[in-house]
Amino acid sequence: MKRLLHNGPLRHSLNPKPYTPFSVATIFRAPVILTSPSHSFSSYLITNDTFPSLSATYCCCSSMGESGAHSPSSSLEKQFEEFRVQLEDSGRLRERIRAVALEIESATRLMHSCLLLVHQSRPLPEVLEKAKGQIDVLKELYHRLAQVLSECPGQYYRYHGDWRSETQMVVSLLTFMHWLESGCLLTHSEAEEKLGLNTSDFGLDVEDYLVGVCFMSNELPRYVVNQVTAGDYDCPRKVLKFLTDLHAAFRMLNLRNDFLRKKFDGIKYDLRKVEEVYYDVKIRGLTANDGSIGEQ
Amino acid sequence: MFCSAAIQKFAVLAAKSHRFHPALETALLNPTKRPRKMSTESSMKEAFADYAEYLNQLNEKRERVVKASRDITINSKKVIFQVHRISKDNKQEVLDKAEKYLAAVTDQYMSRLVKELEGTDFWKLRRAYSPGVQEYIEAATFCKFCETGTLLNLAEINATLLPLSHPPLEPFQINVLDYLLGLADLTGELMRLAIGRISDRELEYAQKICRFVREIYRELTLVCPLMDEIDDMKSKMDTMLQSVVKIENACFSVHVRGSEYVPLLGSSNLSFSLLGANNSDL
Repeated sequence: MKRLLHNGPLRHSLNPKPYTPFSVATIFRAPVILTSPSHSFSSYLITNDTFPSLSATYCCCSSMGESGAHSPSSSLEKQFEEFRVQLEDSGRLRERIRAVALEIESATRLMHSCLLLVHQSRPLPEVLEKAKGQIDVLKELYHRLAQVLSECPGQYYRYHGDWRSETQMVVSLLTFMHWLESGCLLTHSEAEEKLGLNTSDFGLDVEDYLVGVCFMSNELPRYVVNQVTAGDYDCPRKVLKFLTDLHAAFRMLNLRNDFLRKKFDGIKYDLRKVEEVYYDVKIRGLTANDGSIGEQ
Repeated sequence: MFCSAAIQKFAVLAAKSHRFHPALETALLNPTKRPRKMSTESSMKEAFADYAEYLNQLNEKRERVVKASRDITINSKKVIFQVHRISKDNKQEVLDKAEKYLAAVTDQYMSRLVKELEGTDFWKLRRAYSPGVQEYIEAATFCKFCETGTLLNLAEINATLLPLSHPPLEPFQINVLDYLLGLADLTGELMRLAIGRISDRELEYAQKICRFVREIYRELTLVCPLMDEIDDMKSKMDTMLQSVVKIENACFSVHVRGSEYVPLLGSSNLSFSLLGANNSDL
């Protein structure tokens, strides 16, 4: 049976490649662009082809330690020196990722505020038009994120927490918009396509997608209530059918007791609220036709 | 029903470590028509059947990784306890046995972890295997130090894992964070060893350990703030400093008390006695 999460052909290792040893007396801190090891006084600089290059400049850390006379000691220092450089680089990478994630968050907020107009019964096409404008912005931002990540292949999940909640929000808004337009559920691959994530190594995590869908479901009770207030008495029936189907589909999943499970548990409360609205409307004879749920 | 299609699709999904290939998905679900809209219950269920399959496989894998990690932990601890049985007279045989145990951990348990993780995104399930890997590093570095007085490098440990892998899958390699966390735990074991050696009258050995632990502590102070999760390392640093101080205090006691310093009861050196008391009094 094929393995899950299989990366295919052999890929770049996480380890730094072995480098040519040299003796170190003292190393001085200096943010410089390095090309080759050079000797000056007793200071030595480390070449940048030792590691996967994550940035153009490398820092040497100062350690006025013992002289390189004991080779075990200096090899210990060498190793830690490598680690420091590696970790500083990954720290910088993480900062760049956070910067893009914050931009994603602000574009999402704009999209959300556009979509909130739907509760005030603005005409749907107008609301959707404005919200859609942000999709291209998001596409661009995710592309930038993918580019940053491409500098350190195989570490998507190392930094995934830095864009996880933002992505869940994005998915919830996209699925809500899609539902408003078409009455259908945006699938995982359709969501990937909208964000331009279906072509690269950087994809949409399935669990992020599922959590986003749960967030979308949380919006529906409020939407239904406001639609009925505005006079749309058919809305509850449609939303009820959709949410019932969604809940049934979610029940097919075997979940662990994690965040996704909690969000999934929330769907049944949304479903109940929508059922109550549907019932309220139905028994008062407000629905135009007395159609049952099965009708489409 | 859609099981085999889902698994095939997830093999492709896996090829990019987590993404679905939309063209493949629609081909599998609707070979001749356009993708169906998710308006009907059944088409939503089709999609969710795939998600369910993905989650099942992921969770089952996670469980296997956790089990392997636990086995690695327990058996690495056995290696550590074996090394602690060292004394002046039996050093080589104790260490030989420890090496054998360590090799068994590598061949029987690390190999399972390697098999599960090779070719995948090593970071996705890190929380599941990190404790086991840290314990393994603790055991391996402990053995290496007792044999040669040097620190086993990350590159060296990872080299021992390479024979366990199956090309062309990318071989599982321990990352720098787990290595450093394991190293932090090593200092605790070294502290116990040092105190034990002092009781056994092996003062130079204890001093060697003291120098080594100090150096590791020093290097780790520079690295600690750069770690992905600072809190784990921070608390380990506090414990580590306590270990360093314990060793230093023990060495200090030996140094200051000099010839007063006597071995514990049970020592083979009968010419010493505890502050003048006979062995029979103790």
